[in-house]
Formats: sequence, C-alpha cells, structure tokens
Amino acid sequence: MKKFILTLLTLLFSMSVLAHGPTPQKVQESITVKIAPSKAWEIVKDFADFKKIMKIRSFDDEIMKIKYEMLKKDGPFSDYNAYIIVKKGANDKESVIQWTARFYRTYKLNPPIPEGQDDATAVAAVKKIVGPGLKSLKKALETK
Amino acid sequence: MNTQNKKFIRIVFFFLLFILISSCQNKEKINPKAYITNQGDNTVSIVDLKKLKVIKTLEVGIAPLGITLLNKKKLGFIGNVGTDDISVINTNTDQIIKTIKLNTAPLSLTSSPDESKVFVTDWFKNNILIISVEEMKVINSIKVGVTPSGIAFNAKYNYLIVTNRDANTVEIYDNNNKLIKKLSTGEHPFGVYTEGKYAFIANVYDDTITIINLEKWSTQTIKVGAHPYNIMTQNDLGFVTNTVDDTLSVIDLKTNKELKQIRTGETPENLDLHKDLNLLVVTNWGSDSISIYNLNDLNLIKEIKTGAQSRSFGDFILH
Repeated sequence: MKKFILTLLTLLFSMSVLAHGPTPQKVQESITVKIAPSKAWEIVKDFADFKKIMKIRSFDDEIMKIKYEMLKKDGPFSDYNAYIIVKKGANDKESVIQWTARFYRTYKLNPPIPEGQDDATAVAAVKKIVGPGLKSLKKALETK
Repeated sequence: MNTQNKKFIRIVFFFLLFILISSCQNKEKINPKAYITNQGDNTVSIVDLKKLKVIKTLEVGIAPLGITLLNKKKLGFIGNVGTDDISVINTNTDQIIKTIKLNTAPLSLTSSPDESKVFVTDWFKNNILIISVEEMKVINSIKVGVTPSGIAFNAKYNYLIVTNRDANTVEIYDNNNKLIKKLSTGEHPFGVYTEGKYAFIANVYDDTITIINLEKWSTQTIKVGAHPYNIMTQNDLGFVTNTVDDTLSVIDLKTNKELKQIRTGETPENLDLHKDLNLLVVTNWGSDSISIYNLNDLNLIKEIKTGAQSRSFGDFILH
C-alpha cells in the first residue's frame, strides 16, 4: 500500500513537472544590510565574486540597478538573465538588496523531460547561486 | 398602516433597490478593463482602467499565459500551460463559465474579427487549434511548423500569422487553413502583431523587429533594445517591449527608426492599448505589475501591482 501511494505521488509529481512546458522560471531573494543605499550601490557595482560567474550587462545609477548575464554555461539552466537592485531600507543606514533571476530549464523540447533538465532542477541550481551570493555580498558590505 | 400600504411600500422599496443595483452594474460594465495573466500564482488580475486599480483577482488554471478577449461577446479566453486547458471568462460578471480541456500547452491565443473562432498555438504538437466560440470546443486544427509561438489574425486579408520560435520563420495561413507563405525572420521570433497590410514580429535573440508587407511579401528589419518580446502599433508609431533592458522602444514607422526608449517595470513582456482612453499598458514579469502610459506623451500614469509574473501574451484590454 505504502509503495502504491509512493508510486502515485511520484507519478503525480512528475506529471505536474511535465505539464509545465516552456515557462520562464523566477528566483527572487532579498537581504537587508546595515549600510546606506548609496554606499551599498558603489560596492555592489564592483563586487568581484559576482564577476567570476556573471558578466555585467548594464548599470543604472539612477535606480541603482545592475544587470547580469551568466558566464557559467555548465549549470542545469539556460537563458539566465538577472538583475540586482539596491533599495532603501527601514532607515537611512539600511538597504535592501534584491536579486531577481529569470531563466529556463535546459530541456526545451517536448515531454518527456529527461531527469535533471526540468524546471525544478533549474530553480534549485539558481537558488544555490542567489542565496549564498547575497550572503557573501552582505558580509562584504557590512565589513567595509 | 394597513397591509395593502405595507405591500405597496415594499414593492416600491424593492423597485428602487433594483434600479440602484442595476445602475451600479451598468456603470461597472462601461469601464474598460485589462486582464492580466499572472503565471506565477495562477490568477488573472482584472484592472479597471478608469479607476486605475485591481478590482478582482480570479483563480484560473495553472500557469496562465496567453489571452484573447471578445469585446462584443463579452468573453475572455485564458490559456493555462500548466493544466493544458483554457479558462473562459464572462467579462460582464468576471467569473469563469467554462474550462476547455486541450491536453496540450496553449501558448498563445487570438480570435477572428467576427468572434466566432479562437485560435490557439499548440506548443507541444505543432498545431493551431481552432475553437468554436459557440460550441466552446476544439473543432479543427492546422498542422504548422515547429514551436508555434505568437499568433495574430489579420482582418484585411483574413490571414492567420504564426511565428515558429525555434525555426526562425513566420507562417501565414489563409481562410481555408492553407499555408500560403513562409518567410525567414530574425533569431527566435516570438510576439507578432498585425495591422492593415503589415505584420510585425519581435526577434528575441538578435534584438530586432521584422516588418512584413503582406501585399508585396517584402521584409524590413529594425534594431531595438535587448531581447524584444512583443510589439504593437498605433498610427505611425510602434511600441516594443525590451525584456532585458526594461524599456519600451518607440519606433517611427515612416522612417523605420527607433525614436527613443522609455523605462518600464522589470522584464516587460507584453502590451496592449486603449485608443479612446489613450492608454498603453505594459505587463512587467519581473516586478509583478503593469505600467500604464498616456499614449499622447508616453508619460507613465501609474504602475499597478498585479500578481506574480504578470504576462498576458495576447490582446488583454476589454474595450
């Protein structure tokens, strides 16, 4: 019985993954840092850790926004575009750094989708970049 | 007071109440609305374009994307790529009145000018599905090229125009569902718009727009911003959403040159306009919102929060 339910769940899960089709995926995470937005922006613009994996596409000083494309081509995602925005925090000495990534899974043809090339795998991989990336940025911002 | 009088007062009371309710409903009916598909939270935000606010959020199928509206029949068709079906909305009551099962992902939708048919691109099996609006079911299909993406109906020639994203082509079908022309586009053609004797296609990967003259079958290419997604025209101007630049390119269609770019929300995808109200509405996938512009001066009137990953691929303003 247990096995049956497990099989059923697996089937249902894989069906929902299959059914999703060509949908762009979104990962959006924010972190609060104890530094004024203008100062944070100067550091974010030139953050070396990001340059290792992503190429800067453009800057916008007015809205404190930087756009990246992915250099790393071996991840389980494709067409990765991301932007990081520095926003005002709760007070003058606080900022909120928001990272938004848009990407697709690697397999773009019709179902069945091979394992490891689906939406869930792509989202998990990008979350592993965004989460730790924001944490290392916070560390850099608050120690400078 | 006698029973007769009480009865009379009651009738008058209900009569007045009825007038009040129906006048309110009429007022609601007059206001133009925008229907925004939010792919991230399986809803449609309904925006009153006079009050400039969301008046209702409707639950639809999973991952809604494409849309077409029937102004005369007061119906909206929403394509859900997660549940492989179409939610049909009565736009008077803003309730779902029917779900049409497709068993394939409906990527984009358009309708015939007489509102008798809705056309749906079948992303997985490379078809255009034809839905009879009267019967509310698929009555026919046309086999087309790979990855049919954007779709538009040209009322001047009765052409059905479809972009093939992964083949870098556009196909044009006539009234008898016969392929009459297949042309090369830029790289990764996605959104398509048609008006009069022209069709306009956004080529995502090479940052261009292809303009097709449907009479002479000649084409022209215009450079726009990064990763254009869709296009719409009004008089001599073209408007293009540049998803990676977060801008709208404004094109002069007399000289076929980009005049300027104006800022949108994040990752702008699709657009539609309301000529009487002079409004241009852009859906912002990244900022979960829509940007509303004045068509005369292209100034931003308001950005309104909608739902997660707002897209509305198709015509989404009800007149």
